[in-house]
Amino acid sequence: MHIPDGLLSPQTWLPAFAIAVPLWALGARRLAHTMGDAVVPRLAVFTALAFLMSTLMVPLPGGTSGHAVGVSLLTLVFGPWPAFMAYSLVLLLQALVIGAGGVTALPVNALAMGFVGAWTTVGCVALLGRLHHEAAIAVAAVASILLSALIVALVLGLQPWIASAADGSPRFFPFGPAVTVPAILIPHLFLAAGEAALTVLILRHARKRHWVGVTTP
Amino acid sequence: MTPDRTLSGATRRRVGQGERKPWRSGGPRDTLRLALYLSAVLVATLVHEPGVLAGGMGIALVCCGRMRGVLLRKAFFAVLPVNLMISAGLVLAGGLAGSIDGNALLLLNLRVLLLSLLVAWTVHAVDFDRVLARWPAARRWLAIVRIHIGLLQRQASDYRIAFASRSAEPPTLATRYRAVAAHGLGLLDKAVQNAEATTLAMRSRGALDD
Repeated sequence: MHIPDGLLSPQTWLPAFAIAVPLWALGARRLAHTMGDAVVPRLAVFTALAFLMSTLMVPLPGGTSGHAVGVSLLTLVFGPWPAFMAYSLVLLLQALVIGAGGVTALPVNALAMGFVGAWTTVGCVALLGRLHHEAAIAVAAVASILLSALIVALVLGLQPWIASAADGSPRFFPFGPAVTVPAILIPHLFLAAGEAALTVLILRHARKRHWVGVTTP
Repeated sequence: MTPDRTLSGATRRRVGQGERKPWRSGGPRDTLRLALYLSAVLVATLVHEPGVLAGGMGIALVCCGRMRGVLLRKAFFAVLPVNLMISAGLVLAGGLAGSIDGNALLLLNLRVLLLSLLVAWTVHAVDFDRVLARWPAARRWLAIVRIHIGLLQRQASDYRIAFASRSAEPPTLATRYRAVAAHGLGLLDKAVQNAEATTLAMRSRGALDD
């Protein structure tokens, strides 16, 4: 669900940077406390895994793409702040290495997928974890994908209202929420099911190997 | 040996030349190029005239030097699916409404391509190792992630070739999913063990003492 460069107006990406930069600074400080010699290699490997999971992209009509994310997995193994930081790095690498996403869209992508995705996972597991732990993890993965996709769809869909020429022609992304929300959310319903299965499978393995460290904020 | 695509062009050149100088400070040229890129991005999103954006594209291509063909091709193919999808939507919507907004179509395609070209130029021209020299922890994390992306990609490719060569007839979807899951988790184990061994080796040699 990456938004590429050139589809967001400066009225959108500049405020998004103003929100994301302090969160990255706070995340870096939190990460510095948890980054021991045991955590660094695991976090690096899981970050690389998230990069690969989100590399297989299908372009969607809503101006973005569909792919697995891996934020829920990162959150459940390392906690929400390391997950947010790791996924921001994934997005930056994708923008620079394979041209997916973009630098101006980075804060919006990072906030939607990394920050909201991570905290949605934490919230769902905290709420539903006592009922059935693995079901809660699956629900958390689905909810984090769908909520992130909804935010991306709304941010894109608001562009014609935020930045249009005097004659009403769009200067950035041309379609409104009536197009973007269904175009992005419907394919993500299927992708979210796949993401949930992957998250449960890999997390089960990570627990067996005692890799799971911080699970609460 | 194929070049590591996860490294920037500038880093690849430095590694290729066998340079061993420790980078204790950010290179001013790299920082300047990064600042140039960020300024160009800001300008490209504030300009709404296709002619001016086309001029900007010309300047960017001149700045790319001899690599302009490679960088333009890389930028073009990176944004092609998105540009095609949105342009087709605009043409369809315009066709249904009775008038296609050619200016908006040109503006959108030019802007997306120009921004993609600027990213391709930055990755080619800026040595991110030097830019991150003041933040050793960030630089180390980036290096480990970059190495593991390369390793996992190569192992996944090896797996695909091995699985195809072992299968006498096309495997069913369920067989493929089971094999991928088993192999993927095995790869994950191997990657974590390798990363832990590397970190221990680096720690024992004092490489992580900064």
